[in-house]
Formats: sequence, C-alpha cells, structure tokens
Amino acid sequence: MKRTILFWLAALLAAALALGLCLLAGASGWGLPARGILRLRLDRVLAGFVVGASLAAAGTVFQALLRNPLADPYVLGVSSGAGLGAAVAFLTGVASVSVAALPLIAFAFAAATLFLVYRLAMVGGRTSIYGLILSGVIVSSVCSSLLMFTIWVSPASALHGVLGWMLGNLEVYSRSLLLAVCAIATVGLAGIWAMAPELNALTLGEDVAHYVGIRTRVAVPMGLALATLTTAAGVSLAGLIGFVGLVVPHVVRAITGPDHRRLVPASALAGGVFLAVCDALARTVLAPREVPVGVVTALIGGPFFLTILRRRRRGGWLE
Amino acid sequence: MTAACEPAAIEIENLNAGYRGQAVVTDLTLTVKGGELLGLVGPNGAGKTTLLRCIAGLHVPVRGTVRLFGRSLTEMTAQERARCVAVVPQSVETPMAFTVEEIVMMGRTASLSRWQRPGRKDRAVAERAMVYADVVDMKDRPVNELSGGEKQRVIVAMALAQEPRIILMDEATSHLDIHHRLEIMQLVERLNIDQGVTVVMVSHDLNLAAEFCRRVLLMKDGLLLGDGAPQEVFAEPLLRQAYPCNIQVHPTVSGTVTIMPAPRLNERTAASGVRVHVVCGGGCGGEILRRLSLGGYTVTCGVLNEGDTDARIAAALAIDVALEKPFLPVGQAALERARAMVAEASIMVVAPVPFGTGNVANLQLAEEALAQGKRVLIMEGIDDRDYTPGLEAAAKARALRERGAVFCRHTAELFEQL
Repeated sequence: MKRTILFWLAALLAAALALGLCLLAGASGWGLPARGILRLRLDRVLAGFVVGASLAAAGTVFQALLRNPLADPYVLGVSSGAGLGAAVAFLTGVASVSVAALPLIAFAFAAATLFLVYRLAMVGGRTSIYGLILSGVIVSSVCSSLLMFTIWVSPASALHGVLGWMLGNLEVYSRSLLLAVCAIATVGLAGIWAMAPELNALTLGEDVAHYVGIRTRVAVPMGLALATLTTAAGVSLAGLIGFVGLVVPHVVRAITGPDHRRLVPASALAGGVFLAVCDALARTVLAPREVPVGVVTALIGGPFFLTILRRRRRGGWLE
Repeated sequence: MTAACEPAAIEIENLNAGYRGQAVVTDLTLTVKGGELLGLVGPNGAGKTTLLRCIAGLHVPVRGTVRLFGRSLTEMTAQERARCVAVVPQSVETPMAFTVEEIVMMGRTASLSRWQRPGRKDRAVAERAMVYADVVDMKDRPVNELSGGEKQRVIVAMALAQEPRIILMDEATSHLDIHHRLEIMQLVERLNIDQGVTVVMVSHDLNLAAEFCRRVLLMKDGLLLGDGAPQEVFAEPLLRQAYPCNIQVHPTVSGTVTIMPAPRLNERTAASGVRVHVVCGGGCGGEILRRLSLGGYTVTCGVLNEGDTDARIAAALAIDVALEKPFLPVGQAALERARAMVAEASIMVVAPVPFGTGNVANLQLAEEALAQGKRVLIMEGIDDRDYTPGLEAAAKARALRERGAVFCRHTAELFEQL
C-alpha cells in the first residue's frame, strides 16, 4: 500500500517536472517567456498532454479488447476515420461554425468507421478479433485514400495547413476548442478507467470474461466507443499523431504490470508527458523551424518500441 | 423435508439451441440435483459444449428455459450468475503477463463492485483456491510463462475463487498429463463431496467419466441417448449407437467400467481375403464401403449408376463396381457383371438404399446369393424405402428373411455380424 502511494507520488512529480521543463523550452532557447507567450505555451503543453493521454488510453483499450499487441487507434481505422471527418469539417468550413463542431464531426466519422469495421467483421452475429483487425486495416486504408483525395481537391491556400495537421500539430488555434477537447477527453478517460475490471477480464477472451461475470455484450462496444471518443478528441485537436497509442501502453505495462486499474491512469499520464516532451523537442531542435510533432513521436517511439519488445520484460508480448 | 423443497441445481426444460438456424440441441429436458457429479459424454458435434454454454448463459437458447437453483438464467444479472456458476474451459490464453494471483483474483470480479479493492475475505478465498489447485507456489509468476498444465490449474483456481455452487468443466483436463488430470479430478471430487458443489463435466475420456461420475449423460445429435449410472449408460449396445466403432466394456474392481476400443489388428487379419459384395446407392453405402475396405475386406459393389455418390466413393476406394449408364434402370449386361462379382464373394451386404423399379433387380442378386449358400446381410427397413409400384422390394425382403438373410438395425450391428 505504502509502496503504491510512493510510486504514484514519484510518477506525478516526474510528470510535473517534465511538463514544467516543456514550458521553459522555446524556439528562442530556455527560460521563462513573457506573459503572452507563456500563455500560448501553456495552452500548447496542455494540448500535448491531453492528446497524448487520450491516444495512449485509447491504445490501451484497443490492445486489451483485441488482445493484440499491434492494436492502436489506427488499427481499426478509428484514427483515419476521425482524420477524414476533421479534414471534411476543416475544408467545408463547418469547423468554424462552433468549437464543438470539429471534435463532434471527427467523432461521428470515427464512430461510423468503427461501426462499418464492426459490421464487416460480423459473420453470423458474431465478430472475431481477426475479422475486426482485417476489416479495420482495409477500412483504414480506404479512409486514408479519401483523406488524400480531400487534400488533393482542397484549395492551395489551405494545403500547407492541412498537411501540417496531417503530420500532427499541437499549435492551438482556438482556446475554446482546446477546452472542449479537454472536457471530452476527461469524460472518456474517466470512463475507460472505470472499465478497468472489464478490460482485465476481457484480456482472457470474451468467453472467460463472461464466465467471471462481465456483461461482454455491453462492455466490448462500450470500451470501443470510449476509445473512439478519446481518439476523435485527440485527432480533432492535433491531427494524426502516430506511435503514442501503440508504444506508450507497452512501455507502461512493463513497469506497472497489466492490471488496468493501474495501467490506464499510468498510460494516460505517460502518454501525456511523452507527447508534451516530443512537442517541446519539435519546437526546439530545428528552431526557428518547427518539426511536425508526429515525425518526432515516430522517430523516438519506433526505436524505443523495438528495444522494449526485444527485452522480454514482464509485460512484454513476445515470448 | 427441506431437502425435498430445495430446488434442483440445474433445471433445463425443452431446450433448443443452435447456430445460424442449425439445431445443435433439440428439445432437451434435464434436471441435475444439487451435489451431483455429472458426466456429459458423446461423439463430436453431439451438442455437449453447446448445452454447457447454455447453462453458463453464454449461448442464448432458441427456445426453452434454464433454471439454476430455481431461478431462471434470464432474470439473473451477470454478477449473480457468475457467483452461482463457474466454468473451466479447455484452455485459456492471455497475451498479457498477469501474475497467477491476479488471474485468480479475477474470479472475484463478480463479488466486488467497480471501484472496490479486494478485501480480506477476497484474499482469503483466492488464497484457499490457490492452495486447492496447487498453484500457491507460483502466485507471483506471470501466467504466460507457465506450462499448459500449470495454466489450467490456475484457471481452475480462478473458477474456485468465484465460490460457485455449480462448476461446469468443458474438456477441462484433456490437455493435461495423466498425473495432473487425476489431480484436478480428485480436487473436483473433493469439492463435490465436502462442499456439495454441483459439477457437470464434458469429457471425451469415457473412462474418466466412468471413474468419477455417479451419473452420466450420453448425447448424440443434440438428443439424450442415455442417462444413468456409468454401468448402465456405458453398455455396449448404447455406446455403439453413439460411436459407430467397436467398443468393449469391461467391469473393473472398483465397481465401475472400463471402455476400450476393440483391437483392430485381429479385424484386419481376420478380414483379409474375404470378399464382400455391397448393394448400395445415393451415398447410403459410403460408411459401409469405407469401413469394409479399411477392415481389409476385398469389396465389390453394384449395380450402381455412373455418377452416383456411392460410385464415386467406390472409385476413390479402388473398389470394383458394376456400372449402369446414368439414370437408366439396371440392364442385363450390368446385372451379369454384378452376378459374377457375387459369385466370387462369400458375403453380400445390402445397404439402406431406397428401391425403385430401376434398381430392384439388385435384390434378385441377393436371392441368388442365398440360394448359393452365401451369407446375406440386409439393413432393416426396406418397407419404408420401397418406391416400386407393386411394393416388389418389400415382398422380396420378406422372402429373403424367410430364407435366412440376416437383418441389421444399424451399421455397428452389421459389422458385428460380419
């Protein structure tokens, strides 16, 4: 008990420290910036934290429900669907109607994608995990193509913005959008954490989860919906950022073990810090030029992921 | 008095269940009293697992009700159900490195509310379950490092941690070695005797069921074929209806029975050189042809029409067939060829083939065979399969019976007669 409290205290402290450092890192060097800029930077660190936490938590859910080490928000086409929705909202101008419009449309598209994937995977009233992954990969690539097409037909003036957004961009254009996304993500994360007992049991398979008293017919769609919601919230704010949802849960699982009561909050915390740090690097390494944050997460996450997989620690997947 | 009022552990009424419109369990009614240790046996696809999944609430029946201790399964919440009935499947895989203790604690899921941490009682129950299943020494090891047998014992411990009144085992010991199989069965037996836990176990191991179960259900094609003590159900005639192979049942010193497949070596050598001619058609003779040639008999067949299912089976088994052109009635030339085959054979078999004007001539061959002093084995029920205008086949069958043809009710009996 005492050790658990100490662990969480240390984790929170480390997270606060890392986020503080991110706040100090700027294109013009280290240090506390002027008030106006500090406020912008605060927004940006917050955005990085929320998006990273959302993606990591969603990845945790997908890996548990699909019992697949390669599951992340991308594998079921959820990210691509949300991306397509956001691009459509962006380019049609619907996004400027209301702050909630962008995340809601992104969620609607992501949910529609998930529904389609689910229906395609269904054979005789039952969905198999393999069917889900297969149809997810296919629907995902269709969505990506449509996304490319949307960009292709978009006016040249918007091209740079859309492209930057596709590679992942944590610049906050609208404070109210940031707050809306924060609210949605908080709800989603709380819901996912509350589902920890279900997620634990479901890693043993749907049948066994049923035997120990889980309502799998409710829990599985609920888990998928919550993960989709948080993914859509993240994507609508920051575009398509890869590797966070895939790598962070793996790394955290090696430290906390696979119990979702610890894994979900720890993943969210680690994912948030990871993305905020990556964004700080993106702002500073090539200053004054900014590197798209998705590029940074991929460059750090990829090698890190491979090292983790090769070390076969407790919590690793490769046996 | 109270014992009489106590509702049965499992009550199943008119259960119909299946997948995609295909019935797997048909109109099954069954009562299992509290404290029974029941074995559920039968060939593959008999509906045993589906029945078990219906009792566990995993499979929703098309019709009928399942009641556990007087309460309908449909009115129980998932948590209530899990506190009443636990299931040990054949195997469980998880890609995640949960420790043994964490897995066993998952058996307490239904007893804890969402945010509740396992309390002293839960830890005590899990500890006892781990002691019972002999996994307490490995409680901090990740399950995905364990061997199959160890993993299976962990799953048993998880089921025990649910503190169920009913345990369902679906081939739970079939992946285990002889030592651990026995150990888990003894554990289950002890729970059954000491704590009155009702156990239903599906098993392909008839001897295991005979040894541990006081009541055995024999299922085939979704129906109950037998229900009673092992000595009653595991009787050769009943078993042969379920499994179309030669089975021998021997009594054991402990008062139950041992079931063994009949030695096949003798059958092979005994059959070598014996010629059998088979009359069949439309696929009804497939099993007979296959088992005769596997048994070492020299088989001939006919008359059949070209393209008939049985003709194709015969061709695949390299069996000599007297053939007639497709859709034509049996003609003289083909009949002559078949007659020559019968003359060479020492036994003639008539499969459960429907007779019409086209193929009734084959029964004439049977009459001739009898006249030549050969044995003729005929599958019962020609009357129901007679489509000749004047019921010619039925009349011929009566004549054959009078003159000494042997009639068999099913294929197992047929092979006994051979």
